[in-house]
Amino acid sequence: MPAVADPSLKQWLLETVQPDEFVEKDLKISGIHFEALVGADKIAGIAREFLKRGYYLESLTAVDFLECFEVVYHFDRQDSNARCCVKILTAKDSGHAPTLSGIYRSALWFEREAHEMFGIVFDGHPNLKNLLLPESSLIHPLLKSFKGEAKGSDVVQSLQLIDEDKRDFELAYPKSISQQGKDYYLNLGPQHPSTHGVLRILLHLNGERVLDGEPILGYSHRHHEKMMEIQNYLACWPNFGRLDYVGAMSYNFGYARLIERAMGVTPPPRVEYIRVIATELNRISSHLLWLGTFLMDLGAMTPFFYCFDEREKILDILEMATGERLTYDYFRFGGLDHDFTPDMAPAIKRFIPEFKMHLREYHQLITKNVIFMKRVHGMGVLSRENALAYGVTGPCLRASGVALDERRRDPYSIYPQLDFDIPVRADGDVFARYQVRMQEMEESLKIITQALEKMPEGPITLGKLPKNVPKGEYYSAVESPRGSFGIYLVSDGSLNPYRIKLRTPSFSNLNSLIDMIPGCFVSDVVAVLGSIDIVLPEIDR
Amino acid sequence: MTAIFFEAIKIFLYCIAVILFISVNTLFLVWMERKLAGRIQMRPGPLYVGPMGLLQTVADAIKLLSKELVYPSEANKFLYLSAPVLVFAPILSAFLILPLGEGRIIRDLNIGFLLVFALANITFIGIFVAGWSSNNKYALLGSMRAVAQNISYEIPLMLSTMGVVLAAGTLSTTQIVSAQDKGWFLFTLPMGTGLLGFMIFFCSSLAEANRAPFDIPEAESELVAGFHTEYSGIRFALFFLGEYTAIFVSSAIASTLFLGGWHGPWIPGPFWLILKTYAIVMVVMWIRWTFPRLRSDQLMNFAWKVLIPFGILNLLLTAIFIYFEDLLR
Repeated sequence: MPAVADPSLKQWLLETVQPDEFVEKDLKISGIHFEALVGADKIAGIAREFLKRGYYLESLTAVDFLECFEVVYHFDRQDSNARCCVKILTAKDSGHAPTLSGIYRSALWFEREAHEMFGIVFDGHPNLKNLLLPESSLIHPLLKSFKGEAKGSDVVQSLQLIDEDKRDFELAYPKSISQQGKDYYLNLGPQHPSTHGVLRILLHLNGERVLDGEPILGYSHRHHEKMMEIQNYLACWPNFGRLDYVGAMSYNFGYARLIERAMGVTPPPRVEYIRVIATELNRISSHLLWLGTFLMDLGAMTPFFYCFDEREKILDILEMATGERLTYDYFRFGGLDHDFTPDMAPAIKRFIPEFKMHLREYHQLITKNVIFMKRVHGMGVLSRENALAYGVTGPCLRASGVALDERRRDPYSIYPQLDFDIPVRADGDVFARYQVRMQEMEESLKIITQALEKMPEGPITLGKLPKNVPKGEYYSAVESPRGSFGIYLVSDGSLNPYRIKLRTPSFSNLNSLIDMIPGCFVSDVVAVLGSIDIVLPEIDR
Repeated sequence: MTAIFFEAIKIFLYCIAVILFISVNTLFLVWMERKLAGRIQMRPGPLYVGPMGLLQTVADAIKLLSKELVYPSEANKFLYLSAPVLVFAPILSAFLILPLGEGRIIRDLNIGFLLVFALANITFIGIFVAGWSSNNKYALLGSMRAVAQNISYEIPLMLSTMGVVLAAGTLSTTQIVSAQDKGWFLFTLPMGTGLLGFMIFFCSSLAEANRAPFDIPEAESELVAGFHTEYSGIRFALFFLGEYTAIFVSSAIASTLFLGGWHGPWIPGPFWLILKTYAIVMVVMWIRWTFPRLRSDQLMNFAWKVLIPFGILNLLLTAIFIYFEDLLR
């Protein structure tokens, strides 16, 4: 898809809104078409105009500058790479900003996160409480003034507040089942077999019927964003392997792409091929893990073992080059940590036909199973409009009929030279998501086969690169197994990133759960949650 | 006087024999299930404790017995303690009417297996009590599902056995088996009604024993462990024992009613019964490791919209065919 800025939008912005500052950017380097600084009162109107023109809110975050906060909005279109950036300024102490949650529902969680991390108050937000931090925590970790010493006063104070939280919660939700009426609350998690990590979903139930539910996050919050601010660029690599430990290769790719674009370097061709092969193998292994656990959520135990058997082979192959089996830390700026070993290509070539056979087997065992079909058909429907409103990406969005795939929308690396399809389904239900992922595994196999054939010999590194990134702001996104993984980097030209915002796909995907579960049974909540394919460390960061 | 005394000793010995059999049988069934699951899932299953891992379940049982007994705070202690017994005890009664051979039966009652079904229903009171008294929402949800499920599946279960009763003309299990000396009711009932009856019986007994794909009362991925979420140690072991014995008993009754009980060539009758029972148990296990779980409403639909109409149809057909067969004779 061509990357064309919408000229009429630019014109509208310049003429009607009259931004305080308007900068055209180089898409190749910064990843955005233009950047506009506007008054805080104008942002709601701009968001409405963007919505009218088919844009969705890709990311919303804030940056702490010494004299003020900058709230940064990234808008993008689902059909072409038209990312643009709008900013507003707010005052440092108890800064206020208007909420966009009435226009884009993805802002619901983005704003809550910006609120707890910076203390910005979003006026009009329906539920502006902490999302990742403990409910009554008053510290704002992403402020530059916050140092986070273990015995610092803000940490001690926060721990006290956690205790108070517990008491408040017990008062708010009495232990016994509510005496009047038939409705009651059920905590699905944080320790539960089917939440795929430590996630709590507070379900409001009537009998077994769900009235509404609210995911409660933050149990595995480690604050990668703050960690990266106090490390140099090279030291950030391991963080990316630990964001989403199931599909770590894509997250490596995202960081490599961001920094290489910012520095204006292109890695050698062999590196690109190896990266694509490793990422696609990792995508298959991630989808296999999803398939196994999803069917376990539905009560079928055996597919889990079948999938893990195949996944094991991929892990063995990737281990040859990376030395790691899960939290890969394989990519480097402009290169790779190690070359493929000589026995890797034959191993992959052996794996491909075997896996194709097993995929057929899965289809026979699962897709044709009557009970499975009854459980997944028409369940947890996410409409196209809602999917875009929540900023859902990846297989979940493609199952709702939107063919958004970063590998095609904003082609990077060698993906434009490869022949593969983007599977799309229109139903938006659990089964559609299952079908999309199953087909994606086949497409990944196609990519690997082609890349293996064409892979050239050559160096695997560019040699020495500067230790810092030129001053500026960059945004880049890659397609992870779960969706569009975007990184927003503010660099001040020093050795550390000034601010890194990780726009992780599961975060927005999970947000849409609120919309999918009312009216379901408890059993369906588990099925729907499983079909979203969340990885908690990536949501909590 | 002496007669009563001997009778009391006899009952005592029977009880000990049955409990011994149940324990050993459960240990073996659990081992078998794990081995079978392992084979289905491309892994060897228990391997190291004892030959072929046979002692693995014994080790597990010892671990369960030696665990500390914990109560949930705010649980209703009396009910919480009585629930495992309520679940386990009624199943013992089934061995009363299980005929191992001609005259090899503890009590040949003329109400036969109806008694077992009646007593087995006490189990569900136990399950509900377990869920209610644990003061846990998952347990309560599980026990509510269990009660709804078992009330629904009781009906097709009884309907499916009536065809056999019509053909044999009796409720006594010994006489039902004797009536099958020319062939199993599975095949000899007219126009395939035996086969249909067996299918309905098998599905319903799966649901009655809370087995996959009808294991919604203890659905692991939804309700953690369902009604026995809060139970541990020996009390959990009693639930476990009850569950596996229920599978064994329902399979044994199925082979008595449909598969000719002790009838079979070459080897003695009791062995035939055990063999047939284990064959059915194996199918039950095979199903568990193959299928996903149904949802609770789908489960109810299956009982009320499929099994019960077919059960009634089956009963009517059997009655009509048997009536005309008698006329022709």
